[in-house]
Amino acid sequence: MENELKKLEKAATEAIKAAKTSDELQNIEVQFLGRKGELTSILKGIKDLSVEEKKVIGPLSNDIKNGIIQKLESARAEIEAKAIEAQLANEFFDITAPGVARKIGKIHPMSQVQHEVENIFHGMGFTVADGPEIESEYYNFEGLNIPADHPARDMQDTFFVDKKHEDKHGRLVLRTQTSPVQIRTMEKYGAPLRIIVPGRVFRNEATDASHESNFHQVEGLMIDKDISLANLKGVMAEFLTELFKKEVNVRFRPGYFPFVEPGVELDFSCLICNGKGCSVCKRTGWVEFMGAGMVHPNVLKAGGIDSKEYQGWAFGFGLERLAMMRYGIDDIRLIFSGDLRFTEQY
Amino acid sequence: MKVSLNWIKQFVDIPADLNAEEFGKLFTLRTAEVEGVHDQAESYANMVIGKIEKIAPHPDADKLQVTQTKVGKDTVQIVCGAPNIKEGMLVPVALPGSKVRWHGEGDLIELKETKIRGVESFGMICAGEEIGLPASPEGIVDLSSSKAEPGTPLSDALNLNDVILDIDNKALTHRPDLWGHYGHAREIAAILDTPLTPFTTDVKYGSGKDLSIEVQAKKECPRYLGVIIEGIKVQDSPEWIQEKLRSTDHSLFNNIVDATNYVLEELGQPLHAFDADKIEEGIVVRMAENGEKLATLDGQEHELSQEDLVIADHKKAVALAGVMGGDNSKVDEKTTRILIEAANFDPTTVRRTSVRHTLRTDAVQRFEKSLDPVLAEQALDRICEIILELCPNAKIITQKVDVKNFDETPKTVKVDLNKVRSQIGANIPAEQAEDILLKLGFQILKKDKDSFELQIPTWRATKDVEIEEDITEEIARMFGYENVTPILPKTPTKLPTENTERKLKHRAREILSKGLGMNEVYNYSFYSAKDIQKCMLPEELHIKVENYLSENQTHMRVSLLPNLLHNVALNLKNYPEFYLYEIGRTYEDLQEYFPKEEKKICGLIVRGKKHKGDLFYEAKGAVEELFSFFQTQGLELRKGETLCSYAHPNRFAGYYSKKDGTEVARVFELHPLVAKNYNLEGVKIGVFEVNFTELAKLGERTRKHKPLAKFPSSEFDVSVLMDEEVTIGEMEKQMSSVDKNIIESITLFDLYQGDNIPEGKKSCAFKIVLRAPDRTLKEEEVKKVQEEVFARLHKLGGEIRGLK
Repeated sequence: MENELKKLEKAATEAIKAAKTSDELQNIEVQFLGRKGELTSILKGIKDLSVEEKKVIGPLSNDIKNGIIQKLESARAEIEAKAIEAQLANEFFDITAPGVARKIGKIHPMSQVQHEVENIFHGMGFTVADGPEIESEYYNFEGLNIPADHPARDMQDTFFVDKKHEDKHGRLVLRTQTSPVQIRTMEKYGAPLRIIVPGRVFRNEATDASHESNFHQVEGLMIDKDISLANLKGVMAEFLTELFKKEVNVRFRPGYFPFVEPGVELDFSCLICNGKGCSVCKRTGWVEFMGAGMVHPNVLKAGGIDSKEYQGWAFGFGLERLAMMRYGIDDIRLIFSGDLRFTEQY
Repeated sequence: MKVSLNWIKQFVDIPADLNAEEFGKLFTLRTAEVEGVHDQAESYANMVIGKIEKIAPHPDADKLQVTQTKVGKDTVQIVCGAPNIKEGMLVPVALPGSKVRWHGEGDLIELKETKIRGVESFGMICAGEEIGLPASPEGIVDLSSSKAEPGTPLSDALNLNDVILDIDNKALTHRPDLWGHYGHAREIAAILDTPLTPFTTDVKYGSGKDLSIEVQAKKECPRYLGVIIEGIKVQDSPEWIQEKLRSTDHSLFNNIVDATNYVLEELGQPLHAFDADKIEEGIVVRMAENGEKLATLDGQEHELSQEDLVIADHKKAVALAGVMGGDNSKVDEKTTRILIEAANFDPTTVRRTSVRHTLRTDAVQRFEKSLDPVLAEQALDRICEIILELCPNAKIITQKVDVKNFDETPKTVKVDLNKVRSQIGANIPAEQAEDILLKLGFQILKKDKDSFELQIPTWRATKDVEIEEDITEEIARMFGYENVTPILPKTPTKLPTENTERKLKHRAREILSKGLGMNEVYNYSFYSAKDIQKCMLPEELHIKVENYLSENQTHMRVSLLPNLLHNVALNLKNYPEFYLYEIGRTYEDLQEYFPKEEKKICGLIVRGKKHKGDLFYEAKGAVEELFSFFQTQGLELRKGETLCSYAHPNRFAGYYSKKDGTEVARVFELHPLVAKNYNLEGVKIGVFEVNFTELAKLGERTRKHKPLAKFPSSEFDVSVLMDEEVTIGEMEKQMSSVDKNIIESITLFDLYQGDNIPEGKKSCAFKIVLRAPDRTLKEEEVKKVQEEVFARLHKLGGEIRGLK
């Protein structure tokens, strides 16, 4: 019987080796291990064996059976793998066809830049403040040391709204700058102060590729006991470096704004040529950025702050310019176009 | 302001090796922005004097002529279109290679040999504005008076060897002293640390009969000086005057007018010369009478009012003070006696008159800056000196009549240097500060270790320099802003509180764009009266812009929707369907001084006509997702109650605060009439509007973790045929009240009306999910709920169809 078993083992192993399909393997399994298979029929004779013989034949037949099963399984796995491989080898798939659309919408580039500006200043300890867009002449001009008939009012073509006059406040205007919020905030919170005011402003001027009647400014105000122009340079260099993600230098030159004294214009080193001079910076190496200066004592007074005790600076820059520089937008009118072909790019 | 370096050199020793470009940069850093530096020698390269020898008609063009023009040894053919050319005339010729500005407009263009209508042309005969000379409206500049040889370089013939600094006028708004060359010379001497030649004149005034000058408007005219000069011969100015006036962009008139302009440019003081024979009895400076008329030199007739200051004689107004002279008293070729006015006028009065009569002149530009009254006398001395030189037979026959109504006490200011240092943030030594101030003309009256008392020079004392901070600026700019080292201020140990509303606004954008796939747009804050009509909005709520730019921008918006509808029309050209929103303010006139400003979100879902389903629900879904993100609580949905003219009356709902009934948001489909008004009938538009100011007040609830369910859920579907008037909301309310403890959710998954459904009925299918937090539900429990749900629906008049 032992021999018969070994013969069976050998025959099965060879048959498995020769098999090409899983159907053949199935037949082999039935032929050798099935209920009416060869192993069963050999083992029918086991009952005639002696106890000693049974002790040998029992485990042997089990080993042989398990061995065959194992071989069958690995042969089967191999054949299936080959079949899948063959199938994969034949399949054609076009990866260049378009992906299934899952569209997100876009946030307007101005909102994105504004958010970034707010975050950077927040990190330097500034709070975001707010004020009305329809403002009184008092807050927009007088309180900022720009009395009626001051030539500086020429620089800011003002929209007036058709409303009654009020004694202290004068007429109502669409604010020409975010600066009125300086006074409103001083009145409300007193000193010290660190605020920025991003907001919409209006100028009554004809629109073209670089002028809009609606646009956005960011006002900054820092008041404490010993705040200096050197601090303004420090804060702005830090801000611009953070914003543009590269080392930016700033410079001051004298500038005139009635609500500051001394008044300065702030330029930053041209990002395109790094200050060497190119067409973007008109070969000066510097890009004009904003007006700023030490808050005029009259303005501090209007805000109820004692200029003997406190001092500080204010600045105001255009947000459109930043967005336009960052993204290379060449026409400011796109900002307010409502055209999705514009928004979609950001 | 154009500053001629040649002119400056008359007063300051400018180093010979000074690089004009570099100096321009330095001036920008110290004083005011130099917008351009023009080297004339460069701009007039390849331009020569030409003599027109022959003129023939162009064979192919009526308006063109073909000239033979001598430009040196050679005579070349040049086609010219100007009507005023004559044979024998000397003209400026731009040869190929030179740069000109066509018709005085646009960029400089390099000339090349060319054919004009088939005729070859070797250059261009120029008008003044084409080559940076004063404009010559008659056509070509006639240079015959120069008597230069043909071929002489234009820069030599016209003495164009100057360097002109073009300074930004806006940067000089506060500097009355920098509207003339001597003021610039003073500033430049301080910057370069070189001596300044004192400004001196030598004039002998008459002693004879007095000129009568009566100043009635004392406040409006702080100073008025006048003299009469006889023996005048009006003719062209000499070259030294012409050359300077050309460099500074002045047109040329005659020796007298040119001389006033010369002094204007030299000292910054406007002057006026009257024909003395046209002045009756003497000068009166007074306010005009209402309705009084005056024709100015430019030929315009003005109707004056009591707010206009005039110079008059005893019969009539002869000039609009500080603005422009009158035609009735002007100097012309017959004039032999002139009356020279050198005066100081109140800036506000001059400015208002200038605005009222829309007359902006060189004089206005200077007077409105608050000129130094001392300057008037210097200028009078100077112009008398010049006129006596130009007219050898002239004689001043009167005294220098001087009517003063201003305070001559010197102005002073005290300066604490420590405050100055703390403001600049740089430790500037006292000696350096003193040196700077002395160079700028300040006098030190008193000096302590760290403080000065200063006398302000008169030319800076009118508004410009008054207080300590003004001195800080003088020291800072001359010390050099580039020498101020940046210092970061100490950051506070605690970060400031965030502006909640702003934060929520940025979050809302994240949800709307990134979450809901909508695109953000920006629109103007105003729209038109037509939009108000088209959207059927109440006009009385609107604030009107008084001086609007266009008819489309007359009213401040009370809603973001009208402009967004314009966006819809625009974008339909490129997209069949899209979603957009805007976050911005609205402005309402509530009859108080300050209007009511609120921040709003308006979102539009735009789909094509063939789209199935109601856009109302899409808008509703979007806004509710926004609420859910903010975890907004305390709102209830009701049929729209507020007036909302542009909403479809039936497809309109509002979200109201349960606490006080305030409307926080609304959802609607566009009113068909409004859609029609905007030609948007072919599209489906769902809208949500959120009052962001109100939403932000509700705040953002903090999120709290809910444990994940431990036990499995059971579910069943129910399909019911119901009268169409029974709302989904009512059905859901009835079903959910069956057992609030175990009904986890009720979801409508099918709603149908139409074929196979009886008229007036609708078929609704809900999925109901049940779950208990502490056990697996038994079949009986589920069954019980199911039966009760059926019963409730039945009670509402429903017919349960197919049980599953």
